[in-house]
Amino acid sequence: MKNQWINGLIGIVRVKVTGRGVERFLNQLTRNEILIWNVKRHGTQAITFQIRLTDIKKLRGPARASECKIRFIERAGGPFFLQRLWTNSGFVIGAVAFFALILILSNMVWGIEIKGASPATEYQIRKELDDMGVKLGTPQFKVDNVDVIQRELTDKVKALTWVGVELQGTTYHFQVVEKAEPEKPELYSAQNLVATKKATIVKMFVEEGEQVVELNDNVKPGQLLVSGLIGKEDEKQPVAARGEILGETWYKSQVELPLNSTFQVFSGEEKRKYHLNIGSATIPVWGFGDHQYKEFEQETRDYRLKLLKWELPVIFKTETIREREEVNRTYTEKEAIKRATDLARKDIKNQLPEDATIKGEEILHQSIKNGKVKLSILFQVIENIAEGQPIIQGDEDDSRFENNGNPTS
Amino acid sequence: MAKKWSQLIRNWMSQTMDLPPDVMMDLPRITMVGQIHIYIENHRGLLAFSDREVRLLLEQGQLLVKGKAFVIKTILPEEILLEGKIDQVIYINE
Repeated sequence: MKNQWINGLIGIVRVKVTGRGVERFLNQLTRNEILIWNVKRHGTQAITFQIRLTDIKKLRGPARASECKIRFIERAGGPFFLQRLWTNSGFVIGAVAFFALILILSNMVWGIEIKGASPATEYQIRKELDDMGVKLGTPQFKVDNVDVIQRELTDKVKALTWVGVELQGTTYHFQVVEKAEPEKPELYSAQNLVATKKATIVKMFVEEGEQVVELNDNVKPGQLLVSGLIGKEDEKQPVAARGEILGETWYKSQVELPLNSTFQVFSGEEKRKYHLNIGSATIPVWGFGDHQYKEFEQETRDYRLKLLKWELPVIFKTETIREREEVNRTYTEKEAIKRATDLARKDIKNQLPEDATIKGEEILHQSIKNGKVKLSILFQVIENIAEGQPIIQGDEDDSRFENNGNPTS
Repeated sequence: MAKKWSQLIRNWMSQTMDLPPDVMMDLPRITMVGQIHIYIENHRGLLAFSDREVRLLLEQGQLLVKGKAFVIKTILPEEILLEGKIDQVIYINE
């Protein structure tokens, strides 16, 4: 009686006994230590009762000896349930497949919506997203975090001031604010051109204005190059002086490069592991075994699984372990000097505007001490040194302050 | 005659030595819960069973339980748990 649920697991059979002397048959069963329960009388001839599935075989002997007939009328419990499950396994498989499909589909990217962008910018954003792997139909755990996408987009697409990235279900929403770049005024106001740097003028190309300096002149910062006042001596017209004044400037750069250096690089070997985290339990999905790397760097990415609109308490974890190697680099003196010069040139290039060119370089000083090459290099650079400086009316006689203060006079 | 003698001795023993009579004398021990359950220990087999009447063999005589809608919940060699609505419990001596 007390272990009825265990009987349930084993399996229960309902037996119908008909014939004369069913009571004697029951006594016989109890004496053979067969558990019987729920004995009920049906009419004058028949009774039914339940026994365990394992006791079925023991029923045979007493049944032969008696004058009763036995029929099994009901089967219930564990094995029968399993059997039914097996015959109906199509349903179970269907249900599991359905949930798996929903689960997979809910964790894909199904839409990319971009709002507030001009067609050109939108195209650019879509292209960048494609490069990042944000495409229709990619599983979301392969895609970077929303914050990362936002950062990369603002970095890569120049026309963006700000982009809001939001993942709603399976759709990425991008709220774009474009830079409202003011159009450059075609007409300049009256201005002079002055030098920005100390330089020697090598080439002049004046579009408008009166040239003040000559080729090969040395100029100081702030010195007038092209005047915006043209005309005769007494009736000068202010115009916007425009042009390009190329000057030769000098930059001094100091570099230091060790002859021997060790640094760490990734060897290209990597191992990926995938886990499912449910609560505190971790189930490895793919990528088993330990890595053999002595030096390595580990990167993990978590992705929370979703089912339709709900977030599941299941985290898909991608672990990437990259092998690191220590590399020794040794330069000969000659190589080191060359590398250092290259380095210095690159450094200078970074500082210069795009239209500047390096004309020549000269090593002023070079020394090798403590395994380090020390160079000091002078670069000759040709660049545009002209800069517009607006002319304010009445600037010539230096009386603008009085005029400004007293506009009616 | 011998059986009677042994009965008498057992009766005397249980009285004088304060031993439980059901153990000493193979008497049935009947527990009832209201009208709905009856639990009988120390029976010697089922004689008749229907939904209105259950007849049990005892060491001495028989026990007749009358009522309605009887279901034997459990039956073991010496125990039986009966469910239903019990109206009468009758001892039958030969």
